[in-house]
Amino acid sequence: MSTPTERLDGATVEVIRNYVVSAAEQMRRTLVRSAFNPVIYDVLDFGISIYNAEQQLMAEATGITHFLGANDRALLEGSRYVGIENMAPGDVYLLNYPYWNGAHAYDAMLFAPVFTEGGERPSAYLAVRAHWMDLGAKDAGYVLDSTDMHQEGLIFPGTRIVHRGEVVRDITELIRFNSRLPDLTLGDFHAQLAALRVGERSLHQIWAKFGIEQVEQAIRQVIEHGEAIARKAVEALPDGSWSATDYIDDDNITDDLIEITVRVTIEGDRITADYTGSSPAVLGPVNLPIGSTEGIVKATFKSLTTPNEPANAGHFAPLTVIAEPGSIFAAEYPSATFTQWSAIVATELVHKALAQVLEDIPASSGGDEPGFMALGRDSRTGLDYVVSNNEGIGWGATRDHDGGNAQQHPSQTTVRNTPLEVLEHKAAIFHERLELIQDSAGAGRFRGGVGVLREVRYLDPGEVLSMKKKSKTRPWALEGGQEPEPSEMVLWPGTDAQQRVGMYRAAMQPGDRFVNRTAGGGGHGSPLDRDPRSVVEDVLDGYVSPAAARDVYGVDVRPDGTWSETTARTTRTAPGTN
Amino acid sequence: MTSTPQLKVAVDIGGTFVDAISYDTVSGAITVHKVSTTPDEPARGVLGGVTGLGAATGTTIADIESFAHGTTLGLNAILQRNGADVGIITNDGFSDLLEIARAAIPVSHMYDFSFQRPAPLVPRRHRRGVVGRLDAQGAEVTPLDEAGVLAAGRELVEGHGLRSIAVCFLHSYANPEHERRAGAILREAFPDVQVSISSDLTREYREYERTSTVTLDAYIRPVLNNYLDSLERHLDEGGLEKPLHIMRSGGGAMTADLAKQAPLTTVLSGPAGGVVGTTFLARELGLDNVLSFDVGGTSVDSCVVVDGQPSEVHEAEIDGLPLLIPIFDIRTIGAGGGSIAWMDEGLLKVGPRSAGSVPGPVAYRNGGTEPTVTDASFALGFLDPAAFLGGAMEVSADAARAAIAERVAAPLGLDETTAAASILRILVARTVGALREITIERGLDPREFTLLAFGGAGPLIAPMLGREMGVETTMVPRVPAAFSAFGMLMSDLEYEFAATALRPLDDASIAVLEATYAELEERAEAVLEQQHVPVEARRTTRTLDIRYRGQEHALPVELEPGDTAESVLARFNALHEHRHGHAMAEPGQILSVRLRAVGVQPKPPLVRIGAAESAEVAPVGSRRAFDVATDAWAEFPVYDRDALLAGHAVAGPAIVEEGTSTTVFFSDQHLVVDDYGHLLISQTGAAA
Repeated sequence: MSTPTERLDGATVEVIRNYVVSAAEQMRRTLVRSAFNPVIYDVLDFGISIYNAEQQLMAEATGITHFLGANDRALLEGSRYVGIENMAPGDVYLLNYPYWNGAHAYDAMLFAPVFTEGGERPSAYLAVRAHWMDLGAKDAGYVLDSTDMHQEGLIFPGTRIVHRGEVVRDITELIRFNSRLPDLTLGDFHAQLAALRVGERSLHQIWAKFGIEQVEQAIRQVIEHGEAIARKAVEALPDGSWSATDYIDDDNITDDLIEITVRVTIEGDRITADYTGSSPAVLGPVNLPIGSTEGIVKATFKSLTTPNEPANAGHFAPLTVIAEPGSIFAAEYPSATFTQWSAIVATELVHKALAQVLEDIPASSGGDEPGFMALGRDSRTGLDYVVSNNEGIGWGATRDHDGGNAQQHPSQTTVRNTPLEVLEHKAAIFHERLELIQDSAGAGRFRGGVGVLREVRYLDPGEVLSMKKKSKTRPWALEGGQEPEPSEMVLWPGTDAQQRVGMYRAAMQPGDRFVNRTAGGGGHGSPLDRDPRSVVEDVLDGYVSPAAARDVYGVDVRPDGTWSETTARTTRTAPGTN
Repeated sequence: MTSTPQLKVAVDIGGTFVDAISYDTVSGAITVHKVSTTPDEPARGVLGGVTGLGAATGTTIADIESFAHGTTLGLNAILQRNGADVGIITNDGFSDLLEIARAAIPVSHMYDFSFQRPAPLVPRRHRRGVVGRLDAQGAEVTPLDEAGVLAAGRELVEGHGLRSIAVCFLHSYANPEHERRAGAILREAFPDVQVSISSDLTREYREYERTSTVTLDAYIRPVLNNYLDSLERHLDEGGLEKPLHIMRSGGGAMTADLAKQAPLTTVLSGPAGGVVGTTFLARELGLDNVLSFDVGGTSVDSCVVVDGQPSEVHEAEIDGLPLLIPIFDIRTIGAGGGSIAWMDEGLLKVGPRSAGSVPGPVAYRNGGTEPTVTDASFALGFLDPAAFLGGAMEVSADAARAAIAERVAAPLGLDETTAAASILRILVARTVGALREITIERGLDPREFTLLAFGGAGPLIAPMLGREMGVETTMVPRVPAAFSAFGMLMSDLEYEFAATALRPLDDASIAVLEATYAELEERAEAVLEQQHVPVEARRTTRTLDIRYRGQEHALPVELEPGDTAESVLARFNALHEHRHGHAMAEPGQILSVRLRAVGVQPKPPLVRIGAAESAEVAPVGSRRAFDVATDAWAEFPVYDRDALLAGHAVAGPAIVEEGTSTTVFFSDQHLVVDDYGHLLISQTGAAA
């Protein structure tokens, strides 16, 4: 470690910080530019981070919201496995061991030490994680029912895949022979490598311009600054301890609900999320490594403290995450971890605890990312297809506005749905309907957003994978608001075979249909307190039916837009007088 | 010197000013006239600009050789949400596509868990589905319910009083028949109502983006058509003999008639002028790589121009709403002159908040209290308070310095000069980073670019940026403050036709697509004919958008006569390798076919300015300013731009003044004036 230099002024620090943040952004552009698979360049399923010599996060460029800081623990674990003293300039290591990587085995993290000219130890580290297309898990496409790690693909614990600048062919050949999609997988490996090289070059430019001591000092001050603003934000929150419980549908092996619980404690400038009391790890693949649990808490924490700043280690200093080893939130070898929809459901659990004290927290969104995948062979082209779609849900109402209609789940806000014209081109499926669902929002003084209905007919034999883990219990509401119906997929609707499912894989024949319905958001406050004019507008726009307006909101709306209050409204206790 | 002037005129309406520029193709004289915009009746501002030019050049509207016009009217209607009330007619069961959208949250709000997207442009009650459906190949699955179209139109027009209807059906890119039929029914039944049809605007797939495109068109159509009618009437009365040309968002221009048919294509024409001008200079001067660097009050816009070709995209976004129109790939990359410097827990930040024009920088004394980039420029002597905007505005450098001393220097524990310089260092650091990002994503090295600086504050910041980024040359064109309008003078008439044509890339497809191209060419010929383009000035270019099977992103490959699937794939592979760092063994797939039709307009050649007798030129004065190369104050000689002749050379530090903008360069830089009057600034001692 270099000797600490004098403190730098806040302008010089900001200049250097800008260059480091730009280095992460240049890595991101390089990855997106060179990636082979759309899950990286369209779905943004990646995370890019730059660390200092002490392995503290200097800057990052995230793709998905809950990948925030996901590389932090992985770098520590990977370095411990490799041994920092064994690292050489130009080395790159591959890590996808789920319990260290904080993700399922198809999220491959590459990390690289960066040395100054003649430096003996790394002066910085770079990490790029990205979703790989196939590493030889038990099923092609996606795995819904693995029961241990060894069914989930080839595992690398921090394996040297580039040695002093040379790709280690033995390792890449091992991948090639173990992947169903070797060209795409190795293509993405090279894209990640290109991003690492750009990051390395940028760091050397920054060191050359400012000198390593000055850069290190600036980063220390950036991290101090991040910590100061995060602590200040936490200090502004009330002290106390609040807990919340929710349910994940099941583990896809049994039908049992899985209980998840968190206790959030705020003490001065520190905040703790403790998952003790949650279900032990389950047999099916919905267990979360601790790094994944940390990722979802970090995203919520960031939204509460520093939503507009590129993250650094200081921002998370006030945060502690606790989960019992061997529980669903700190899965241990060999627990299955492939289907991390549980992380999506758990994202809003911390909100639910804090909603008891923080007024600005919205009610639950539809609770999950209730999309689908379709696969099969298209008789028009003779080609196999796999398509997927992330569907919007209603978001939760807040104390001063309705929830958004048909928005991606908060854990993956920037992901986009797939245009139906693209789906119908790529896959032998035909849409009968795609529309917002009337009365799907949780009612309230402010109502949740509404969900989405999609009805699809198969043109050729194929399969559908219904993706959702919050279909058996309702999303939560606040302050007397109503809970919406949960998401669901109905297979073969209107036939004798009609079946309501959550996460499920089904074979489809030509003419077979499914209806995917996504949940609306939770309501906030009593629907009888909703401004009757808003109820009228909702009826005119068809978000709310006249029947629900009358029965739930207590407003009789006539077709011409005139209205009157029902007795439910006129005889209730006025708000604030109870 | 008394020959009749041959004037090409361009008028660019911006947010606060109308820039009118004329270029005398005989003498090379450039005249600029600036007037305030007249939001209540925009055409008046344009006429004011033209009249001003006439007075300055001794000409009348009748003498004008060509007239190009760019307007932000449509853009403002969208940004301010004051366009027409629109109704949408689409497929039964799909009337919420506009609202479902892509369901994504803007990246800038990705951690805002109570985010609510803005209300859709068309409320749900104004959206109607009618029976009728095509499949992905464009084949009819269910016939169009024509009575249903009429009934839906009646509800929207008579029931809701709407005057503008947008029609978008699924898969209409593959077969526009249902849309055309619906359009005809509506136009016949409601002759006073404007009807926009998605397939008239774009033949690309993705239903939400297409719906958004046609909705935006319907939204601005009444506003823009009224404006163009009024402008044409006024210009007619003034005696304009040549057709009025309106700038397109993707460069090039079209006649006002055509603009009225497709108003959306004008919507981002404002910044396009600067890119057209950049491209023109790149081609004329033989510059391989140019970055346009347009600095306005609140932002910096940049576009990459390589080998005389500006980067283009086929999708843009306004306020989060997508539109599928060809457009220059212009990136907003950072802060501008009005960006505010503020303290954040001990760190100095610049932007993203801007003081805008009201209250504006502290130095303007309009109530601004927070120091801006412009204030730092006054404090460091880069801008002369006495001569700012030709003395048209009273400004106070003392007020700027005091604000910086109080709000930046004191909390940072720095002296006032270092604090002011720090504001610019941060602006430069951010901008350098952003320029690296937009070049590296194309696989290019920013150091290999010429930085072309324009917009009011471009020449002030660009040399500082250029030395930081290590570019060889920073170039300041003539009249940098009105360079966008200058670019409009250099526009050809252009029109682009496209059709989605998902097919494997094989020789059979190439043969089949010949018929598609023939159809597009027929449409192109008709348009060029309508725009009075002589046959010998017509050019068409065929392009195929190609991708690897299974991928989403496509790249444009220009078709050459005699091309086979193999030769096209080889060029696509090479392009993919260049843009994405690798090629793949996957078979190619054709996504869409494009045809660009150009009516080449006579363009004034760059006119050489007078040559200097020696490299030396006398300054008109000097002032103390801060030299960022030595971090010390120095005496900067000040030069008058008008006195700089071809071949003059000036060693830094120095300042060049020209009324509406100021070029500042430093002691490790020098400037030479090229044959055409451009200022070329480079590092002293660097290899040429």
